[in-house]
Amino acid sequence: MKILDRLEETLIATLMAAATLVIFVAVMHRYLSGVAFIQDYVIHWNLAWAQEVCIYMFVWMAKFGAAYGVRTGIHVGVDVVINRLRPDIRGRFVVFGLLAGALFTGVVGTLGANFVYHIAETEQVSADMELPMWLVYLAIPLGSYLMCFRFLQVAWTFIRTGELPHHDHAQVDGIDPVEAANEGGPA
Amino acid sequence: LSTAWAQDQIVIKFSHVVAPETPKGKGAEKFKELAEKATNGKVKVEVYPNSQLYKDKEELEALQLGAVQMLAPSLAKFGPLGAKEFEVFDLPYIFPNKDVLRRVTEGPIGKQLFQKLESKGIIGLAYWDNGFKIMSANKPVIKPEDVKGLKMRIQSSKVLDAQMRALGALPQVMAFSEVYQALQTGVVDGTENPPSNMYTQKMHEVQKNATLTDHGYLGYAVIVNKKFWEGLPADVRTGLEGAMKEATAYANDIAQNENDVSLAQMKASGKTAFHTQTKEEREAWVKALKPVHKDAESRVGKDLIESIYKEAAAAGFKM
Amino acid sequence: MNALIIFGLLIALMLTGMPISISLGLTVLSFLFLMTDVPVAAVALKLFTGIEKFEIMAIPFFILAGNFLTHGGVARRMINFATSMVGHWHGGLGMAGVLACALFAAVSGSSPATVVAIGSIILPAMVAQGFPKNFGAGVVTTSGALGILIPPSIVMVMYCVATTGHPQAPSIGQMFLAGVVPGLMLAAFLGFTTWYRARKFGYPRLPKANARQRWHAFRESFWGLLLIVVVMGGIYSGIFTPTEAAAMAAVYAFIVAVFIYRDMPLTRVPKVLLDSASMSAMLLYIITNAVLFSFVMTSEQIPQNMAAWIQGQNLSVWVFLLVVNIVLLAAGNFMEPSSIVLIMAPILFPVAMSLGIDPVHFGILIIVNMEVGMCHPPVGLNLYVASGITKMGITELTVAVWPWLLTMLIFLGLVTYVPAISLWFPRLIGVM
Ligand code: NA
Ligand code: NA
Repeated sequence: MKILDRLEETLIATLMAAATLVIFVAVMHRYLSGVAFIQDYVIHWNLAWAQEVCIYMFVWMAKFGAAYGVRTGIHVGVDVVINRLRPDIRGRFVVFGLLAGALFTGVVGTLGANFVYHIAETEQVSADMELPMWLVYLAIPLGSYLMCFRFLQVAWTFIRTGELPHHDHAQVDGIDPVEAANEGGPA
Repeated sequence: LSTAWAQDQIVIKFSHVVAPETPKGKGAEKFKELAEKATNGKVKVEVYPNSQLYKDKEELEALQLGAVQMLAPSLAKFGPLGAKEFEVFDLPYIFPNKDVLRRVTEGPIGKQLFQKLESKGIIGLAYWDNGFKIMSANKPVIKPEDVKGLKMRIQSSKVLDAQMRALGALPQVMAFSEVYQALQTGVVDGTENPPSNMYTQKMHEVQKNATLTDHGYLGYAVIVNKKFWEGLPADVRTGLEGAMKEATAYANDIAQNENDVSLAQMKASGKTAFHTQTKEEREAWVKALKPVHKDAESRVGKDLIESIYKEAAAAGFKM
Repeated sequence: MNALIIFGLLIALMLTGMPISISLGLTVLSFLFLMTDVPVAAVALKLFTGIEKFEIMAIPFFILAGNFLTHGGVARRMINFATSMVGHWHGGLGMAGVLACALFAAVSGSSPATVVAIGSIILPAMVAQGFPKNFGAGVVTTSGALGILIPPSIVMVMYCVATTGHPQAPSIGQMFLAGVVPGLMLAAFLGFTTWYRARKFGYPRLPKANARQRWHAFRESFWGLLLIVVVMGGIYSGIFTPTEAAAMAAVYAFIVAVFIYRDMPLTRVPKVLLDSASMSAMLLYIITNAVLFSFVMTSEQIPQNMAAWIQGQNLSVWVFLLVVNIVLLAAGNFMEPSSIVLIMAPILFPVAMSLGIDPVHFGILIIVNMEVGMCHPPVGLNLYVASGITKMGITELTVAVWPWLLTMLIFLGLVTYVPAISLWFPRLIGVM
C-alpha cells in the first residue's frame, strides 16, 4: 500500500515538473529561432509536439491527482447542511457520499476501459506525436479505478475510526506565523 | 423535444465546429432542408453548430461511437484516424486549379479515399470546399525566401509542418480562435488561410501583406456512421444521397462566392496589401514546395500522388 | 421538465455533502442512462477531451507559480515594500495589507492563496502592533479576494473555458486586461474603508519611511514585482500566449524562490510540486465533470430554451443583470467560484449575449460577484483560510469582514451597471 501511495505521489509531481519544463523549452526555442545567428542551428528542431505532450501529461496528472485528492480530502463538497445534523446521521451522509464517489468512478472506469478497448481496435494516433490513442486514453480507466479504490479505502477508514482526511487550505509549509511576524514587521 | 421520442422518425444529428453563417454551416442547413423534404419528413436532421456538442478533437470518436450520425470535419482530421492518405489534400500545389481538384474528389480517386474510411466505421458522402489558401505576414511574401525565419501559424498537420519547414519558416500549431491575437501581438508573424477564414477572423486587420499563392487547399468531407447508414431503408438512403448531392453543389458555390466577397472586402479595407503572383513567381513557389511531395510519399503513398499527377496532366498541367 | 429533473438531482446530490465533481458526474450518468439516447460511452470520451485544451493548462501552471511565490519569501518582501510606501497613513499596516494583497494578486491567480501568502505574515504583525484581531482579519480576507480580479486569474480562465464554443466567447487575454482597472479600483475602495475605520478608531500608524528605506524595500522585492512584467508584459507584447506565460511564471518563481531569495531549499521543491499537482487535479476534475454537465444541458437544448424563454419575458438588461447577481450571490452561499462559474456561465452566457451584453463586461461582473461569495459564510474559501490563520471562529470573522464586504457589494453594483469600468482599458489598448 505504501508503495502505491509513493508511486501515485511521484507520478503526479513528476508530470507537473515535466510539463512545465517542456513548455519552458518550447518557448525558449521559439525565441532562439528568431535570433539571426542562432537560428540556423535551432530552427530544425521540431518541437511541434510540445503542446500535445503537455496536454497529455496534465490530463494524466489530473486523473491520478484526483485519486490522490480523495486520499488527502481535497475534493470540496457542500457540507454546510450535513454539518448541522446529528453526528450519527451526518456519518450516514458521509458514507453515502463516499460510496457515491466509488460508484461514479467505478462506472466511469468501466466505460473508460470499454472505450479504450474499442479505440485499440482502430489505428487512431495522436495528431503530433502519433502515439496510439488507446494508450493516451488509458488514463481514464486507470485513474478512475484508482480513484474508486481510494473512495472505498476512505469510506472503510471512516466506518472503522470515524476519521476523514481533511485538507487545510490555511496550512502553508514553511511559513510559521510567529516567526513571520517577527520578520514581517517594518524596520 | 417530443418529436425526438417519436418512434418512426429517423434523427440525424449533424454536428460541426463552425458558425451557422459559414459556407459549411449553410451547407449543413441546406442539407437539413433538402433531406427532410426528400424523405417526406421520415428523417429529421438536427444541426449542432459551433462545437456545441463535440469539439474538433472528439467529434470523430463521437461519430464512431454513434453519439452523432453526421459530421463535416476538415480533411486533415483523417490522418490521425489512421487514414494517412488524406494528408495528400494538404500537399502544397498538388491541385493546380479547381478543375483538377474536382477531377480528384468527384472521380475514382475520391471514391478510393472514402473506401479507406469504411474499416473505421465511417462512410464518406461528399467533399465540400473551403478554398485555396493565401499566405499572409507582416512583411511582403513575394518570393518563397521571404518566409524564411518567420513564425507561421498552421493547423495541426504533418504535411503543413513540412511545408513551412521547406520554406525555412518555423511552424506554430495554434487553435484557430487564438490566431487573431497571436498575430496582433506577434506571437506568430504570419499564417495561411482561404480568404473567407482570413476575413471572418479579421486577420487582415493584423497582417500587413498577403500573396494570393493558392498554394494549398482546405476542404471538408461529409461523413456518416457506417452502421447507421447501412441500417437505413434503401429509399431513405437514396433520398439522402440526392439531397447531399444538391447540398454539395450549393455549399461549394457559397464557398467560392464567400471567398470572392471576402477578398474584395479585405482589399477594399486597405489594411492588407495583396500581391498577385506573376507566372515566374508562381514557378518559384512551386519549385520551393515541390520537395514536400517527395517527402510525403512514405506517408500517403507514391501511387496516390502519381494518380493525382495523371489527373492534372489530363487537365493540361505538367507536374 | 428535463431541466427541472437535472437541476433537482444535482442539488439533491450536492446537499449530501459529496464532492461537487461527483454530484455533477452522477447527475449526468443517471440522466444519460435513464432518459436519453446519447450513448453513455460518450461520457468516457468527454472525461478525457473535456480538459484536452492548451488554454486550460494555464490553471496548473499558475497554481504552481503561486505556490513557489507563497513559499519563497516573495510575499514577505512585497509586504515590506507596501509598508514602506503606505505604512505612515491612517491604518498603517492595514493599508500595507491592502496594497500587499493587490501586489501579490498581480502575480498569483488565486484568492485563498493571496490571503494565505499575505495574511499569515501580516496578521500576526498587526496583532503585535496593537491592532484588534478582527480589523486585520477583515482587511486581509477581503483584499485577498483581489487575487481573482487583478490578473492573472484562475477563475477568469474558468470563465473562458466555460464559454468556449460560443461565437462571442472572450479570450483569456481580453479578460485579464479587463480585470486591471476594476482590480485597482476595488483595491482603492477597500483601502479607503480601511483608512476611514482606522482613523475613526485611532489605530496605530508607523513612522514614515524615508526615500532610502523605500528604495531598499523596493530593491528587495524587485524580483517578485518583475513577475508582473513577465506575465502581463509577456502576454501583451506577444512574447507568450497566456498558457505559456503561466508556465514561464512557474519557472521564474522557482528560480526566484530557490536561487535568488534562497528562502526555499531544493529539498522542498517536490512537496510544492505535489501540492500544486493535487490542487490542480482537483480543479481539473471539477472542470471535466462540469464540461460533461454542460454537454448534457446542451444536448437537451436547455440553455437555448432558457435563453428563448427569458427573451420572451422582455426583461430589460437592467433587470436581467440584477437577477444574475442575485442568483450568483445565492450560489456563493454553497459553492466555491470555480464550480459556480463552470456550472452557471454556460447557461447565463448565451442569454446575456442575446440581450446584447458585452462578453467581457459580463465576465468581470461574475468575477466580482465570486469575490463577494468567497468572503461570506456559510461557504467562503477566504473566510476559511483566514479563520485557519487567525484561529478565529467563522461567526466572529463574519462580523469582522462586514464593513469591507459592504464596500465590495457597492463596488459590485458599480461594475454591474457601468460597463466602462471593465471595458475602457482593454478598448484603450486595442484588444477589443
Ligand atoms: Na491575480
Ligand atoms: Na459565500
